[in-house]
Amino acid sequence: MLSFIGRSVIQKIVTLFFVSIVSFLIIHMAPGKPSQVDPLNPKFTPEMVERFRKEFHLDKPLYTQYFYFYHDLFTGKTVSWKDNQPVLAKIFERFLNSLPLFIVGTILTWTLSFPVGIRSALHRGGLYDRSATFFSYLFISIPGFFFAYILIIFVVNSFHVPVIGMETFGLESLSWQRMFMDRIWHLLIPSILGATGGIAVLSRYVRSQMLEVEGQDYVRTAKAKGLTAEQVHYKHALRNALLPFVTMFGLILPGLIGGSVIIESIFSWPGMGRMAYEAILARDYPIILTVNFISAVLVLGGTFVSDLLYMVVDPRIRL
Amino acid sequence: MTIRRVLIYAPIFVIVFLLQSYFWVPTYEEQSRGNPDRLNEYIAASIGDAQILNPVLSSDSASSQIESMVFEGLLDRDENLSFRGRLAQSWEIFEEAFFYVNDSSIIPGVGVADADQIIRFLKKEQHSKIYKDSSLNASLNNIKDISFIPSDEFVVTKHAESPVKDQKYKEIKIQVSAPARLKLTLARVDQDLFQNLAKILGDDFFNSFQAEKYINTFQPLEEEQFSQYAKEILPSTEQNPVLIFHLRPNVRFHDGHLLDAYDVKFTYDAIINPKNLSPRISDYEPIKTIEVNDPMTVRIVYKRLYSPAVGTWAIGILPEHLLNRQSLRQEAIDAGRDPNNFSMRESSFNRHPIGCGPYKFREWKPDQYISLDCFDDYWEGSPNYKQYIYRIIPDLLTQEMEFYAGTVDSYGVQPHQVKRLKNDPAYQSFSGLSFGYTYIGYNMRRAPFNDVRVRMALGMAIDVEKIIKYVLYGEGERITGPFAKQTDYYNHSIKPISYDPEGALMLLKEAGWERNAKGWLEKDGKRLQFTLITNSGNDLRKSILAITQEAWKQIGIDVRTDLLEWAVFIQERVDKADFDALILGWSMGIEPDLYQIWHSSQDNPYQLNFVGYNNPIADDLIVKIRKEYDHNKQVGFCHRLHDIIAKDQPYTFLYVPKWTAVLDKKIVIKETDLKGTIVYKKIKPTKTGSYTFHFNKWIKLPEAPDFDPEG
Repeated sequence: MLSFIGRSVIQKIVTLFFVSIVSFLIIHMAPGKPSQVDPLNPKFTPEMVERFRKEFHLDKPLYTQYFYFYHDLFTGKTVSWKDNQPVLAKIFERFLNSLPLFIVGTILTWTLSFPVGIRSALHRGGLYDRSATFFSYLFISIPGFFFAYILIIFVVNSFHVPVIGMETFGLESLSWQRMFMDRIWHLLIPSILGATGGIAVLSRYVRSQMLEVEGQDYVRTAKAKGLTAEQVHYKHALRNALLPFVTMFGLILPGLIGGSVIIESIFSWPGMGRMAYEAILARDYPIILTVNFISAVLVLGGTFVSDLLYMVVDPRIRL
Repeated sequence: MTIRRVLIYAPIFVIVFLLQSYFWVPTYEEQSRGNPDRLNEYIAASIGDAQILNPVLSSDSASSQIESMVFEGLLDRDENLSFRGRLAQSWEIFEEAFFYVNDSSIIPGVGVADADQIIRFLKKEQHSKIYKDSSLNASLNNIKDISFIPSDEFVVTKHAESPVKDQKYKEIKIQVSAPARLKLTLARVDQDLFQNLAKILGDDFFNSFQAEKYINTFQPLEEEQFSQYAKEILPSTEQNPVLIFHLRPNVRFHDGHLLDAYDVKFTYDAIINPKNLSPRISDYEPIKTIEVNDPMTVRIVYKRLYSPAVGTWAIGILPEHLLNRQSLRQEAIDAGRDPNNFSMRESSFNRHPIGCGPYKFREWKPDQYISLDCFDDYWEGSPNYKQYIYRIIPDLLTQEMEFYAGTVDSYGVQPHQVKRLKNDPAYQSFSGLSFGYTYIGYNMRRAPFNDVRVRMALGMAIDVEKIIKYVLYGEGERITGPFAKQTDYYNHSIKPISYDPEGALMLLKEAGWERNAKGWLEKDGKRLQFTLITNSGNDLRKSILAITQEAWKQIGIDVRTDLLEWAVFIQERVDKADFDALILGWSMGIEPDLYQIWHSSQDNPYQLNFVGYNNPIADDLIVKIRKEYDHNKQVGFCHRLHDIIAKDQPYTFLYVPKWTAVLDKKIVIKETDLKGTIVYKKIKPTKTGSYTFHFNKWIKLPEAPDFDPEG
């Protein structure tokens, strides 16, 4: 066990190192330059551009830039080129904004997918299963932005309440309960939007896992020895069907940092995804690379956690 | 069974909890219509957030929008686009000109002369009644004073790039024994001064001055380098425009500190300080010295004639007391940073700006909003709106929803949305010419675009009126040249090229292109074939691309088209001048300075004259325009230049887009007249390219007032 952890950590650090090189190269080789070095603004003389390049170390060879960047990152000195704010503080602030959206979205996804999927599996081929399948594919294939507009227009026109932003704009003098509930309300629609796709996909997985387990010998044995249907399905079958989801739970970690660009933009949500997207448009390398690095860490951390979880829940697996 | 119950009740509980929050949320009704405070707030929606709220450092439009309310410049443009004083009550512009006494040149009628003799000669000429040409007369009469600067000896140290790599600079000491010099003080700036004086002092008097005679280096130097230094240190003539600003007394910053001339000087120093990386540095590079004469007077001397420099003083003035070296040092120490590496860019001032504009900064929530409060001590009187809020809503459709709901007062409305709202009685809509134009540019280095007849014919084959009508929903006007259409510089007597495919074919025939059996245009067996490109992501340009391709195909031109990603488009094609024809747009300022885009010296890779326009007469006019300080003369030059460019057709000038805006009808201008009665007026767009010129006088009324049709 300990040796597995040790090996795994070393492996992941090596991977991380390569990820950092590759992402650094990709971003620097992609076309486009930081907007400060934008050559088509007549106000920017070549001397100015040169000075910015110096300031950003863009005049140095790539490996020196790589060293500068990661040196700054680990000493916490990286600043955004756009506004000279420390990158880590900026990311943390946005992370706190995206976090509630992520939590509510995840809760919705994971609480709804199981009942929907299990019922589909138990009543396989019935009207409920067919309509669940239909809606799953509908929600998987409907474009997120389109669905978002429809929801916004529907809610605003029929209930006349604001849905944009993190809280109702211009609220200052309300009691804290109202402020809190107002925030919950603003979370509702974006997280429903974020969750629909997840529910549609996850409930499909749950259904197929359940179906597979229901066909196993031990389920037949459980039925044969006269257990109630509930005990067969929810105790013997469900427990075994859950195994793959434990690994998936580890993999949602990276979602913490990704956020959703489209939903955050449409809902004016000042979150991570929007910041990263705007940074990419402005070629704000420090932000792009830091976000990239953190998400790489989270992906690797997520797989690590899911490996461990798997070991805990499935006694057959020994690493 | 518990598992089953948990599986069913958990989601139900979550959903019920989320849904019940609906009952706690204030409706739009409570927010806008039912809320009397809302009438005192103005909320503008913007797609993007500001970057850095410091007029010296920012270069994005969101930041400059906020800065224009928080900071104030020395001057700005009034409704008719002429300058008006803001923090400066008044200003004067005159010129100081210098020249060295050239003792090797013979002055007609005098011979070789020393400084005294030249002064006497010039004074005599000034008063002589003998007939001279009128421009010489004007130049002479313009001289207010002539004074003598005795010869001088000094040492100059220059830094030359050293051939050895590690040693960056080589110091070169130069011994200078400058000859006597004369200083002319002129009443007005006169760019023809030395040209005219040469008429009486002799054609060679200024040209034959040999600076090399008066300098000596301690190290041996290449001849070319040597004469270059000589010209730099001892220029035969020098023209220094002088700009004196008299500041408005008793203007306060938002923190109560009084504004004085040291703040103006500080703003300049901040821009020019290389540590600050100000994007505006090139505007202020021509400044030679800036001095504080007294706390209310600044004297700015320029190195050379450069008329666009006056307009640069619209820049917001920074408070010296908050950003000078001691303050920054203190801030760095408080923040635990290294004071030697701490520049203005790092200062927290950029996120809590303090200026002397009509609104003072209150709060900035990144990517959510920036809010400003009205400044009660504003020198022109406090604005009517108590609060200005800049909301960041990145999605246009969401902006529109918020606008209908009444929680946003203005947003970036699109032409098709204006069309929808124009007849709605609740709203007033505006439009006007913006500063910029869209064009098709031809690479004049390549055949067939090196032939003006071909360029003209290509322009004639496009029906621009139709483009304006169908692509822009009518929100645009034709344009014939490179100046902003609402300024005086634009020559309205030039008629746009009319749509005439037949005429185009005739012109092409003259140029040797004839249609072959299949209908394609041919010359010497080669088909007229080229590629028209533009950037992707701009739907307007994409439509124009398709329309133009079709129009040119109609007359038998084999046009290929290509859409390129912006970065590739600029770096690979435009910067390297590797294209046949392209569709692009320029946005510009009011100043008629065309040097970077049209002067033939600017056609190298990475410069803006990427079409390779080269016309010596145009070059001469372009230089004259930037040197001319007299508005009427400048307008004359511009009209001629406009005519020349329109005849050369390096671009097919397509249209100038219109900006559009929609406002609630309840928003009006509120003024108090001399008798103290309150008058309401309708908001009207101005030439300044917006409708917000009188924003400080705007207010929202509970009911829309009735104006007579005249308004």
